Amino acid sequence: MSRSIRIWLPLAVLLAFGLWWLAAIRLLPLADWPALPFRPDGMSLQQILLAFGLMPRGVIALLAGAALGLSGAILQAVLRNPVADPTTLGISSGAQLTLVLATIIAPGLLEAGRWPVAMTGAGLAAGLVLLIGAQRAFAPVTMVIAGMLVGMTASAIATAVTLAQGQYLLSLVIWNGGALVQQDWSGVRSLALVLVLGGLGAALLARPLRVLSLGAEGAAGLGMNVALVRLAAAALAVWIAACVSAELGLIAFVGLAAPALVRTMGARGIGPLLALSPLVGALILSVCDGLVLTVAGATGEMFPTGALTGLIGGPLLIWLLPRLRGSTPPGTERAEGPAPHLARPRHVLLGLLMLLIAAALVLVWIGRVPGGWTVLDWASFNAFLPLRLPRLIAAASAGAALALAGALLQRLTANPLASPEVLGVSGGASLGYAAIAFALTAPTAAALSTGAMTGAALSLALVAAFVSHRDMPAERVLLAGIAVSALASSVLLAIMATGSPQAWMILAWLSGSSSAIGMSGALPLLALALAVWGIAMAMRRWLATLPLGAGVAGGLGLPLRLARLSLIGLAGIATGAATMLVGPLSFVGLMAPHLARRIGLARAADHVTGAALIGAILMLTADFGARMAGFPYELPLGLFASLIGAPWLIWLMTRSRT
Amino acid sequence: MTDTLFGIENMTVEVPTRRLLDDITLLLPAGQVIALIGHNGSGKSTLLKVLARQIPATGRITFEQRELRDWASRDYARRLAFLPQTTPPAEGMTVRELVALGRYPWHGALGRFGPADHAAVARALQECGVADFADRLVDTLSGGERQRAWLAMMIAQEAGTLLLDEPISALDIAHQVEVLALVRRMCHAQNRSAVIVLHEVNMAARFCDHIVALKGGRLAMQGSPADLMRPEALQAIYGLPMQVLTRPDGQPVAIPA
Repeated sequence: MSRSIRIWLPLAVLLAFGLWWLAAIRLLPLADWPALPFRPDGMSLQQILLAFGLMPRGVIALLAGAALGLSGAILQAVLRNPVADPTTLGISSGAQLTLVLATIIAPGLLEAGRWPVAMTGAGLAAGLVLLIGAQRAFAPVTMVIAGMLVGMTASAIATAVTLAQGQYLLSLVIWNGGALVQQDWSGVRSLALVLVLGGLGAALLARPLRVLSLGAEGAAGLGMNVALVRLAAAALAVWIAACVSAELGLIAFVGLAAPALVRTMGARGIGPLLALSPLVGALILSVCDGLVLTVAGATGEMFPTGALTGLIGGPLLIWLLPRLRGSTPPGTERAEGPAPHLARPRHVLLGLLMLLIAAALVLVWIGRVPGGWTVLDWASFNAFLPLRLPRLIAAASAGAALALAGALLQRLTANPLASPEVLGVSGGASLGYAAIAFALTAPTAAALSTGAMTGAALSLALVAAFVSHRDMPAERVLLAGIAVSALASSVLLAIMATGSPQAWMILAWLSGSSSAIGMSGALPLLALALAVWGIAMAMRRWLATLPLGAGVAGGLGLPLRLARLSLIGLAGIATGAATMLVGPLSFVGLMAPHLARRIGLARAADHVTGAALIGAILMLTADFGARMAGFPYELPLGLFASLIGAPWLIWLMTRSRT
Repeated sequence: MTDTLFGIENMTVEVPTRRLLDDITLLLPAGQVIALIGHNGSGKSTLLKVLARQIPATGRITFEQRELRDWASRDYARRLAFLPQTTPPAEGMTVRELVALGRYPWHGALGRFGPADHAAVARALQECGVADFADRLVDTLSGGERQRAWLAMMIAQEAGTLLLDEPISALDIAHQVEVLALVRRMCHAQNRSAVIVLHEVNMAARFCDHIVALKGGRLAMQGSPADLMRPEALQAIYGLPMQVLTRPDGQPVAIPA
């Protein structure tokens, strides 16, 4: 541990300070710097810019980075998941949603600043997650899934509203990116207070968290109130992250990367993790901000710093991952209770299939006309069928493909947070799409698809390179995928911040649509979904054995490397193809496998099949909702998929099992 | 002297700060129940994991006269079954499904789960006494029942060699005797071999044919149970004065002096 930290940390400190120093010197030579204490009335404009702009900015980068690193470290410890971060509990998305809504519905609320509005949203989201978690003694898996659901739903609504209201919300998009620009020292003061209080809280929680790392049973045996400690730790982490989010906007990835980087440097145990994560977080954000300042010095301020964290942190994490020693597998705990297990899964699967067919039939037949609803007569049915059938097939197939990818990944990694998104395939596809959208003046659909496909293939190759390392635990594969995703979303956010027409085109694609699909796109996707399902069925024994861990699977003679590579490849292809056609709607891939699991489809083959059927139903219904709710306009597909699936899963999760 | 099961020459296992196993050279005989004993941290489990090909080691190791790395993974799993010390949670799996996983080396990813596989599963369930709760979820079983369910998975694998890492740690005394007797019976009646990591010296002496003792990552002694059940030998292994009593039936029993 100590050697790499001794070498790298001072270098990062030097880099961060050097970049800030360059920006400061460029603004004002050292000889002209104002003397302490700062009094604005006696200063020149340049001096004011330095003393009340650049200086607090340099400090706030450190403070915010440290706060996020601390929050991420606490959350990863309490949720016992190495890929958890402040966004996992839906905090940032909640803040974003209330800000978007306030801007549109009640702009007056924002007069007092964004802080109260954003805090309300973050608090509501976190409160909802904690409420769901309370049913299961705040057990990690439940919390993590609930957080993802709440977050996804909130950001789907926010995106939909942003799309609907267009240009007015551009400033919010920039807020989402987390700009660190400061006008005075008030932000520094409040974040310093947050960091001090948060640090004290973390210090108090360090020992209980260390005990909790034994697992809930061991901790309870030592006389600890497990639920209380979990609640306190989650609440503290949420509060810290929400404060940063409200002050500066959505600064992604620092909270995830800082603890992960600390662990790659060899820190073990809760104490060093809590102590070093803020340090590393502060350095990441400072270096990022330093780069933004440098670029801004050359070209003018363009990108919010928060958007660029993935740009630095992503590659850094990918580079350091092979050094990560030891893994913290997500713990399955007694508190989750045994998952349901149906005695006769065939009936349920058959029922789901019937439901899918029935939904398809009904949704073809009924439609909305100006002034009301109608069931099509035969003539208009024949007229509409060629229009509606391709999108129905495409939506259902995309849903099935994404759900299959999610189910495969969750089984492969034994991590409930695994979804097609964490493979980085969607992120890569989005980058490819964006590249084409900017490179060509009038890009054709085919060109855009090719771009997205290339991007997806490249990121898949990167993740596969990780898998092919011997003894590479699933956790690292997930982290690699998340790093790619973060990198991609950094670039995308930076693009959004430019507010160009291409940015809107990309935003629309990101939120998903099946409107532009013809039969020529729908049928291959259907064939692909069926093929992926068939191959997954052939691999069902691998899928049954892999969740038991490498030890057991290897002991049974399972070809681990081949199994991992082929499953990742299969999931990547399914994700890529679905993303190509309907946009990166990866939460179907997260939700559908959990839904299948929660209704009691436990066996690998049933689980995968059920997930595919549920994914298809979800997307089919979502497509219908997207067409009908805003008739005659179309709403984003992703919004409806979240709105339908999330409440269902939350209900299944909170339902008491007796 | 019987055939050699494992031939180990100059085997060393290192982690960055420590040498877990230090230059071990050892022949393990086939067709016997072999106990691996030693103090905590002596390298017993490490040695077992190396034999199960779970962790790499330097040196030359052969299994049935073939180098360990030359074995294809499924062939190896057909010849050798391994039960890890801590069994992972088997979420949503019934006992029968878990035991059926043991058939993987035989039918592979695509092969038919045929009558032979069904028979092997049924036999394993019966032998390990878990047939009565074959359709219950593994995670709802008591510790001892779960351990026997995992043991049944290993039995269903029908391998000639069993590697067991503390298989009786969660069992009551009756089930401890039962499991070890089962392993011993299978080895002697069906000419299989077993390597068992054990903490309980008396159990090792009573149920095993051959004892291998490790101390601080080095070989401390190997020999028959009679060689082990001597106060000097025990003190050398555990660093604690031990007394060996003789039961009326002639079995030696070791207790701390």
